[in-house]
Amino acid sequence: MTKDKMSFQATAGTAGLFAVAAALRLLLFTAFPGLPSLLTGRVEISTPVTSFKRLQEGLFLYNHNVSPYDGGVYHQAPLLLPLFSLLPDPSTYPIFTYILYTLVDLLSANALYKIAESGEGGASRLYSSPRKEKRWSGYVVATLFLFNPFTIATCIGRPTSVFTTCAILHAVAKALSGNIFTSMLCLSFATYLSMYPLLLLPPMVTLAYDRTYNSKAPKSLAQLAVMCTLAVSASLALLFISSYALTGSWEFMSSTYGIQLTLTDLTPNAGLWWYFFTEMFDSFRSFFLGVFWLHLSSYTPALTIRLRQQPLAVITLLLGIFAIFKPYPSIADTSLFLSLVPCFRHVFPLLRYSFVTASVVLYGTFLGPAFYHLWIYAGSGNANFFYAITLVWSLGLSLLVSDLAFAVLRDEWEVERPEMRGKEIRQI
Amino acid sequence: MSADIQNDGDSKPTCAEATVSLPATGIATVEGKEPPPEKEADTRRRSWIVLSFWLIAVFIGLPIWWNTTTIYRANLPLGQMTDWADGKACEPVFPLRIALDVGALPEQEAQNLLRLTQHALDDLNDFSGHHLRLQLAQAPTEATAPVRDDSNVALTIRLAPGDAAHTASSSLHPHLPILDVQYPPNSLPTANSPSSGLATYIATQLGATFAEEQNIISYLLESSSITSEHRPKGISQEVVDTVSKRMTRSLKYSQTYHLTFSLFTNGPVPSSWDIEAAIDQYMKPVLDMLRPIHNFTIDTQVQLYASPGVQSLVLGKEDLSSFVNAAEWPLSPSIGGAPTVNFIVYTGNHTIGVPSEASPGETSQSWMIPQWGSVYLLAPPAEATHVSSETLKQPILTFTSHLLTLLGTPQSGSLPMRLSTLARIRSADLLLRASSSLGSLARLTLALPSISIPSNVADGVVKTIHHLELACASLGGAKSLEHARIAEAEAERAFFEKSMVGQLYFPDEHKVAVYLPLLGPIGVPLVMGLLNEIKAWKNRRSQKLKAA
Repeated sequence: MTKDKMSFQATAGTAGLFAVAAALRLLLFTAFPGLPSLLTGRVEISTPVTSFKRLQEGLFLYNHNVSPYDGGVYHQAPLLLPLFSLLPDPSTYPIFTYILYTLVDLLSANALYKIAESGEGGASRLYSSPRKEKRWSGYVVATLFLFNPFTIATCIGRPTSVFTTCAILHAVAKALSGNIFTSMLCLSFATYLSMYPLLLLPPMVTLAYDRTYNSKAPKSLAQLAVMCTLAVSASLALLFISSYALTGSWEFMSSTYGIQLTLTDLTPNAGLWWYFFTEMFDSFRSFFLGVFWLHLSSYTPALTIRLRQQPLAVITLLLGIFAIFKPYPSIADTSLFLSLVPCFRHVFPLLRYSFVTASVVLYGTFLGPAFYHLWIYAGSGNANFFYAITLVWSLGLSLLVSDLAFAVLRDEWEVERPEMRGKEIRQI
Repeated sequence: MSADIQNDGDSKPTCAEATVSLPATGIATVEGKEPPPEKEADTRRRSWIVLSFWLIAVFIGLPIWWNTTTIYRANLPLGQMTDWADGKACEPVFPLRIALDVGALPEQEAQNLLRLTQHALDDLNDFSGHHLRLQLAQAPTEATAPVRDDSNVALTIRLAPGDAAHTASSSLHPHLPILDVQYPPNSLPTANSPSSGLATYIATQLGATFAEEQNIISYLLESSSITSEHRPKGISQEVVDTVSKRMTRSLKYSQTYHLTFSLFTNGPVPSSWDIEAAIDQYMKPVLDMLRPIHNFTIDTQVQLYASPGVQSLVLGKEDLSSFVNAAEWPLSPSIGGAPTVNFIVYTGNHTIGVPSEASPGETSQSWMIPQWGSVYLLAPPAEATHVSSETLKQPILTFTSHLLTLLGTPQSGSLPMRLSTLARIRSADLLLRASSSLGSLARLTLALPSISIPSNVADGVVKTIHHLELACASLGGAKSLEHARIAEAEAERAFFEKSMVGQLYFPDEHKVAVYLPLLGPIGVPLVMGLLNEIKAWKNRRSQKLKAA
């Protein structure tokens, strides 16, 4: 897969690629009619804040003029409801839902294609990697995304996190193409749907700043930051007000964002929070909720400062961190993180633990469902089985995140000390 | 993980300098090769990163820690609470008014008799907490509309001139709180006489009538922690024994009781019973009279082929306690929060083998199970499949008397008197229990400085004290039971507040166990980073000074 070949194919083949990916999804949807509902019920795919089943419950209440948050099942953004109530009933005409989710995946892939094609991964305004020639084209990156089993499983399980994924990827793509406001609007949408993408604002601002930098009339970064913050606040306010108008109360705030902040729904998932908080002393619960959220958000400023020269790397690493440490993670978050990793093809030779990482992630992928089955259905295991495997899974992901961070920094360092290229590092 | 990523993020390539073993040069001193000095920009960047972590920890982390772990302790009126527990806030005095209906006696003589009788009563009674006060009943015209303020007059003495020449006689009215006294016409005291036979007689009769109530209240005060000058001077051991036996037999006070009537048969018949009619006819009147003190909910059930917990047909004394087959008979311990009283009618061929003269309340067909209910053995009725309401008359009447005993009703006197005594006993009991709950809560608060006290506990305490005051002010009256009940409920709710109970035992060592495992891994890199920064800053300063 040399670069020349790929770029030649890229222009011609995207449409074909998208067609194949869409066909594969629709084939899976229609050839295995039990598959969507099976995957919708999997805890690795559907979390309390993204589950399609819960969305249908909310939709039912909404269509019967009851507040969708009554009953405490639905924890998703209110604006999803009118969108889905436009579609015919998913139980009688599921094909429309399938088409919608396939389209969202294709949109994400399209944004990813643009991101990869921009070459930002290897060469940003402030930094140009010596290895930047070695990169994958948008075609390959989009292929890796579209045919990633995690992405496919997510698409068929139909959690609403695919909308967040799409919004984040578009925010990055628009920032890369210099459309700051569109980018901020996309980020607001992602924030509105899942809250945590707000933490991506600082690297997104630096990315947008770098891509719109005009050496003749330089604007200050602070100025742009204020502008972006205002844009995000304004669009978020607009979204909130329209949600208020839709549901008639501010109840959605506590039901959607409140539940992520207080973790009142302790349904098991692939993350690290649920087990911890089932065991927590009640009097320390709120304190540790604060600690966990603070831990999650403390990476943003530090990474933004450290990797100021490579904002896309910051975003990628942060998405990896979110996929591990956010309150309700699922493989949708993992697939978002994995979709951006191939943009850093040039540092792959610098990864030290690629084999270990791949094995651990595969180990978690296969044993996770097995242990969940042992716990819930077979009854021969207990909660610790599943929690142990989510620990392994998180270990695999954090190995990948730290290894990628190491590789990116080593790449930077070799620019500084070219004589050290290819030498082994040693701490002194 | 955090430490790992943070290290990768900020320190490895910049501060952990990397050297390389140079191959094939033959020089052994690889380690001696110094890395080039760090760039100024890198140092500054590292400082910024350490600063960003510390800013978050200090400006967001510390407030979160402070807000979420400070223990909220609402202010409790500890002084008042201990006063109540020690009996300093309220003198448990039960002023009972006794009306003296003198009939046709002239006013002067009536007053005289009243004064003397009161005097005799005071001499007789050494327990000042339980105080009988006489008053003249209203003029007969008004008295026919029986008693003006029913709740305040515990007993009416109806005096009437009798036939007997020298001895007075008295009898308690069977259905009304009235003591009929017949006196010989010549025994009326004269205006100046210091004592009178009739007065002493009435006083003695009154004392006897209220002896049981006095004993029970003395017992309650004795067994509570209250120290008071109104405390009884000491009651004899055997009185304590009988009263305590009776008190342990009765159920804990509750506003509502659930009565479950069950028909258990040892075969396929009888399969139906006229329980509703029987209850309406034989038990309802008593339940209605109990209404001011208790509410009742009733359900019934029939269970066929129910085998008792004992095999033998003739039940010995020890079989009685295991007769109820708790494992198989569907007798739920309590329904909807109210304590359940079980009444079981068992039809079968069982008989009780021991004559039960030891406890007079038990007939040869039934026995009472303390704090639980009672069992009645019914011979299989003639018409086999159905138990008629007449057949149930005796069981239901037995159950009614058992119910009164289970509720703690005293045994002597007419039913209205017994019930008004019951109300007074129960309000004293509740008052004492609420006070002691307050005292326990106060001691708990002082003993555990780390326990949190939510504001609703403080509210409950304030409410308790308010109602205790009201109850204390109206002791002996009808309202006092109501107030004492609210006070007791509030005190229990405050004491058993869920968020407090969880922290009853939470020593400081546990906090180390909670904080250290999680905050250790985060704290070490944070602190080390800060220390390194300070060291580097000092180095730079000393170098600058050297250079200067």
